[in-house]
Amino acid sequence: MKQMRQTTLQTLGLGSVLDIFQNGKLPVNESELVDKVFGAAGSRGSLVISGGNGIVGSGKAMQLGARLHQYNVPIVTIDLPDAPDGIGQHYPGLKASFGAKQANEIMASIIKLNYDGANLPTELGMFKPRFLLEAIPEILSLKKSHYDMMWKSFPEVEIRSVTSGFPNSELGVGVLHPSFPHQINKIWEVVEKEPSDITKLFWALGLIPVPVGDYWSFILDVLFCGITLAAIRFHRASNMPFWKIDKFVRRLVGPNPIRAHDAIGPGASFLTWSCLHHLAEMYGELFRPIPELVRRKESGENWYSSNRPTVDWELNDEEAFKSWMWGPLFQMTSLMLLENRAPLAHMNAIGELCAQFTNGILATIRGFGADKVINRVEAYHKLHPEASKTCWYPEVFQQMDSPEWQQLYVNAEHDGKVGVVTISRESLNWDVINELDRAVDWLKAEGISRVILTGDFHLSTQMVGADTTEFFPALEDENAGFNVASSWARTARRFHDEFDVSVGFINGKRCLGGMMELMMHCHYIVSLDNAQLGMPEVTLPVVPGMEGCHWALRKADPADYPRMIELLLTGKFTRATNATGWLIDYAAPMEDALQKVWQIVTGGDNGLPLRKVNAAAITVPKDVSGLPPASVPAIEAGRKAIMDCIQASCGVPLSQALEIQAKHSAGFMVTKACQNGQIGSNAKKIMDV
Amino acid sequence: MKETSPIYPKAFIPYGTWGSSWFPAWHTSALAEVDIARFAAEAMAYIMGKRNVPISELEYLVSGSTIPWLYKFWNSPYLSHCLGHRLPGFHIEQACATGLQIIAKAAAHLQGGAQDVVGVLAFDKTSNSPAGVFPNQGTYRRTEVLSDIWDNFGYDPATGQQGFNQATGETAMIACAGRTSRKYKLDFKEVAELSCHRYQQYFEAKDTGILNKTMVPMQVLDVRGKKLGMVDDDYGVRRYASLDQFLTERQLDTCVAAGGQTHASDGMATLLVTTEEKARELSPEPDISIQFIASAEDRAQAGYMSESPVLAVGKLFAKTGFSVKDMVAIYDHNPFAVTDVVFAKSFDCDWHDMNNTGCPMIYGHPQGPTLVRATIEALEHAVTKGGGYVLVFGCAAGDVGIAGIFKVTDNRGGK
Repeated sequence: MKQMRQTTLQTLGLGSVLDIFQNGKLPVNESELVDKVFGAAGSRGSLVISGGNGIVGSGKAMQLGARLHQYNVPIVTIDLPDAPDGIGQHYPGLKASFGAKQANEIMASIIKLNYDGANLPTELGMFKPRFLLEAIPEILSLKKSHYDMMWKSFPEVEIRSVTSGFPNSELGVGVLHPSFPHQINKIWEVVEKEPSDITKLFWALGLIPVPVGDYWSFILDVLFCGITLAAIRFHRASNMPFWKIDKFVRRLVGPNPIRAHDAIGPGASFLTWSCLHHLAEMYGELFRPIPELVRRKESGENWYSSNRPTVDWELNDEEAFKSWMWGPLFQMTSLMLLENRAPLAHMNAIGELCAQFTNGILATIRGFGADKVINRVEAYHKLHPEASKTCWYPEVFQQMDSPEWQQLYVNAEHDGKVGVVTISRESLNWDVINELDRAVDWLKAEGISRVILTGDFHLSTQMVGADTTEFFPALEDENAGFNVASSWARTARRFHDEFDVSVGFINGKRCLGGMMELMMHCHYIVSLDNAQLGMPEVTLPVVPGMEGCHWALRKADPADYPRMIELLLTGKFTRATNATGWLIDYAAPMEDALQKVWQIVTGGDNGLPLRKVNAAAITVPKDVSGLPPASVPAIEAGRKAIMDCIQASCGVPLSQALEIQAKHSAGFMVTKACQNGQIGSNAKKIMDV
Repeated sequence: MKETSPIYPKAFIPYGTWGSSWFPAWHTSALAEVDIARFAAEAMAYIMGKRNVPISELEYLVSGSTIPWLYKFWNSPYLSHCLGHRLPGFHIEQACATGLQIIAKAAAHLQGGAQDVVGVLAFDKTSNSPAGVFPNQGTYRRTEVLSDIWDNFGYDPATGQQGFNQATGETAMIACAGRTSRKYKLDFKEVAELSCHRYQQYFEAKDTGILNKTMVPMQVLDVRGKKLGMVDDDYGVRRYASLDQFLTERQLDTCVAAGGQTHASDGMATLLVTTEEKARELSPEPDISIQFIASAEDRAQAGYMSESPVLAVGKLFAKTGFSVKDMVAIYDHNPFAVTDVVFAKSFDCDWHDMNNTGCPMIYGHPQGPTLVRATIEALEHAVTKGGGYVLVFGCAAGDVGIAGIFKVTDNRGGK
């Protein structure tokens, strides 16, 4: 088997993605792992969460309780008697997500115990603790004495800390560092010598464990605390208030780091200080907390004033601002790369998935190129000379031609006959498109003519469509819109034109918009039966740009045209099982679906007819009866534009349709209906500050 | 340059680290719609940012204003919270003397040695001033309601003048100007000529762009964070076409006509008072030194407010040994043209060479920040002249006068 780079799944000890298809099943079984971690049914032990009323502990009690209650694993939370109830406040959210019945069942599996911090509650033994998730305050001595107390009573208990910063070497236990918001964010940074059953169980439960190296603050909090520090340093240099800095940081990088601290609560400033303080002790001035942070760490004071601002601020020097922001982030990344803190795909994904970075830090660095990155850090050093004295390793940026750097979001593997292309980003952007092209080039060069296109079974749990931030330039520039639509569509067409057999496999909970259009170009689409499929563009509104207005229609039976057109004009989702035969080819539970994919791609007897793409002009209805009225005029305008695009792109041969669809998509993007729609509003909110 | 022993030998003002909002007339700009205290504090941070002075350099805040504002109880500590850097400090008010008084108090505080960088912030909003309700005040009406600006403009309870009549405004400030004009036997023609000249000075300075060195345009936000309006001019200043226009205006009191008196406006102004060493560090032009030499105050007879600066300046000259001839720049807060004519008459000087780039009689009168703006413009003017001594003075409600002298030394080749 050959790979462009190691799959992220392999870092969990779960093999390659190709293995999954070859074996026709997932690498581990959820219930077997529950038995391994918590004991067999009938003698199940419990998951104990200490600090269970805290923001992390209570959030994780919800997240894990929702997944483990079906196995009758008790979740026991322990906390100090005066800790405010953190569990109860999650109930409304739980009820909204799961309904009252299931929410009540989940809450029933959570047992709340109090203790004095020094002696475990005597009742704890009744619940046979097997796994302790420690979420107590970020004080090393406190954590260590807590472990000793636990081991003294329960020597066999497995312990993991949710610490933001302390490495395993300091704690003496493994790390499972989760990210905010804790009740829903699935990412956990994992530090352990070998992937454990706990880590594999988390993966099997649909969570996203991401192995990282045993270094202070791992990756997430280097990035998040790093950008927070950069933003506060800019305040110190410019006097600009935090609310305005956040807007500029959001435009440049993605997050509102300072606002996030207020949203998380007073403890966030302490955690950020703690991470930076220890990083500074280890690595020097680049990370040194400044007085504004120290003050809030001690006082718990909010960063944002309770007053609404009255004076607007502008950037006097855009380049200086970029140096204040990118400079330290690039320098910190050079340290993480030097220390090899994680596989590059992990390092890149963590910023996006946990710290709201619009693009991963490595994708950003790759986009700039080594010279510009080094120049940016040097410009930062002129503004902050103390930072130049420690941990700056420009040489690490000289390896950007390697597959690890080039394939941050898309990987490819093959066994000599069948290739698999995996996407680890939930939304399509230029980086993904370019990496898809490189993956296809690689497979072609390797002589592979049969391919599976799917998610990575790890970092990406769904395919939500296009990253609409990529459309911002197209709102003002029709050529930019045409370039996005036509370029992305050409990449998608390669899966149709350049392989003998291509199978798109929808392995997550939804596949929408641009991702659906990408999958459409495969000769076959197989989906998990409970996946939601759809073309929600009209709700934004935009006109699909990657041939969504004609490709599926050219493959469908004319009797199914109304269904396809309704999908496009309403933006409503449909369950995969309802889309078989006209949008996709097969829908089934995981193992059945995996086996079907393998049957198709290996040329075995799969029982499915190939729905060929009609290359001639086709005639499709100009309206669909029974369509509900559009809720707002913008959606009405979107419907009309989509119908125009359907008629125009279907009414020409396939050879002309790509360009026509791209023109319609680009043309609509510069209209008021789109500019005042969701994408236009987002663009205004993010870019017009 | 003549020397004297400064009263505040440690107090220096870093050149070019100052700034002022424009002073739009009341109800002519977005400032009428916002909490002026918060605006002023945020504007101070904004101006310091423009001047490359991190607010983290500030160690203390002396603030001043005259019209009640939201959360005034919390005064300077609240204002420094709004500007983004928590500081100790205090707030004072002394009507139109406030601006120079807070510079003097900042200098005195610095002289005390506890802090090395003292921020000075003054502001006021005459639009929409609050009204106070004072129960059981021992008056026949028992409950008094006072509109803080207009009732006080119209009624000085401490004049003790015969014929006191609140309804007719006999002891209003305008009456003080008329009374002083009569005492000094002023000629309305001269007062009108002075008024005309002051307008010319202001518009000439504005047209050359020199005011852009000290005035900072700012975008004001509404409560939703949307742009409410740009404050980028002294809105409401009338352009007169000729001297005849001034001469033909109706006199509201002796020698007081519309063209010769100020108007209500909104605004803020800020500067720093520091040690000599720190001033050099913070200033974009470290070779320009500005030292606060001395200040003085005095009080005129009841109802003669326009005479009070003469008394204060006289006291200051006596204390320092200076005279008008030693001054390279003379700027004042002149609510009435009468003030300047009386001053020139008293010190035998040419009123043409005062207030060279503008004065509150033209650009308006938000009380608190007026003398800070005048000081900044005076110091800037002195720098253009190569340095020298600067006299700043003004009158204030209660027949009070205040004056201060600064020494500007330009080591780049000036005097």
